[in-house]
Amino acid sequence: MATSAPEPMLEIVTEAIVVIDLVESTLTSNLFGWYAVGRQSLRDLRALIGEVGQIRGLRCVRSTGDGYLLTFYDPQSAEMAAIRAVEAVFELLGLISVRNREVSEERALNLRCAVHLGEVDVIPNDREGPHISMAFRLEEISRASLPAALNPIPPEQFPLQNYVLCSEEVAGILSRRAAHWELVSIGLLKLKGFPGWREVFRITSEEHPTDLGGRMRAL
Amino acid sequence: MEAPAPLRKSLALVFCDIVGSTRLIARMGDLVASAVFRQFIEHADRLGRQHHSLMIKFSGDAFLAAFENMNDVMPFVISIEGLLSPHSPLERLEGFRFSLHYGNVLYIETSYGNDILGEDVNVAAHLSEIAHPNELVISQAALARMPADYQFHAGASEVHPFKRVGDVEFRRVKLLDENPFFRLARGFQRT
Repeated sequence: MATSAPEPMLEIVTEAIVVIDLVESTLTSNLFGWYAVGRQSLRDLRALIGEVGQIRGLRCVRSTGDGYLLTFYDPQSAEMAAIRAVEAVFELLGLISVRNREVSEERALNLRCAVHLGEVDVIPNDREGPHISMAFRLEEISRASLPAALNPIPPEQFPLQNYVLCSEEVAGILSRRAAHWELVSIGLLKLKGFPGWREVFRITSEEHPTDLGGRMRAL
Repeated sequence: MEAPAPLRKSLALVFCDIVGSTRLIARMGDLVASAVFRQFIEHADRLGRQHHSLMIKFSGDAFLAAFENMNDVMPFVISIEGLLSPHSPLERLEGFRFSLHYGNVLYIETSYGNDILGEDVNVAAHLSEIAHPNELVISQAALARMPADYQFHAGASEVHPFKRVGDVEFRRVKLLDENPFFRLARGFQRT
């Protein structure tokens, strides 16, 4: 009887997970063409991600169609991976802000970013597991999500683009280990597929003032 | 026109969650499940108005309702639980989880309607997470404002720690006909 080869052991690691979504990328591609604008925008974004991530433990860059799934790893400390990931995202927003001033309007990049930390299954050039789903759920949160949240900030104060959201896990790490980040609870939300209520935070930085949405009210 | 200034109010906060909503979607498909959830929202909204709720807010398969008068709360909870009885609109649901808390919140008018803000809202939400199916978890703050008969028939005191709030004392009440607490509430509903 033939025996099937044993499945290789999956590597399971704790990584900071970042989901970056290019705002209105489909609309831009439809209006101005994928080959003329869309493709170059994604390539530019990928190049900038490489620039900010390489020195901060960027381990995985996976296209999601209109954005990227990134993971950051620190062999010494999982918490530091989360801090490096947030640093990378804010540096990316800074570079994009500079780039947007130099390119035509249709080539401008605007992002929605979400950061989470958790155990993931390492697949070559990809990651799997519920924490990956959680990061995508965070990224999906928008102004329209807030009326259903508990203790929400006013929807008008939630920016439309160029902002960073994070989970309670990442917020806890930042408040303990990186005082220069300001955290604002945007409310308690129910995230599809996850039980219970999750508090979601927006991260702002005085060093990287990329906020286009005005000041937020702290609850 | 400017929105009215936010008001501080002491309110009874009721949370209700559908038990097994993910299983329902898997079992019956998302079209049927979303029709059931829509019915749930319509009935809960109607019953909220019928029982004088100050506001009711829906979030997926759950809602938060606020009451100024504690006497309106149990008849409302019973009327929601009654939606599960045989041949009633929501008999396909496995059950509800309820929580009841009493606290001081900010009542505000927003761009999407009236809402309430404050740490006590979070407490009420987290209390519903520790409720079992067809059970009401009542914080001590809420129970202390209910008639003495209710207090006598509530379950044993338990404590659960909540972030930023600390320990919250609560009791469990099974929403079953043979439970004296539930019978009292039914009697109250009839009067």
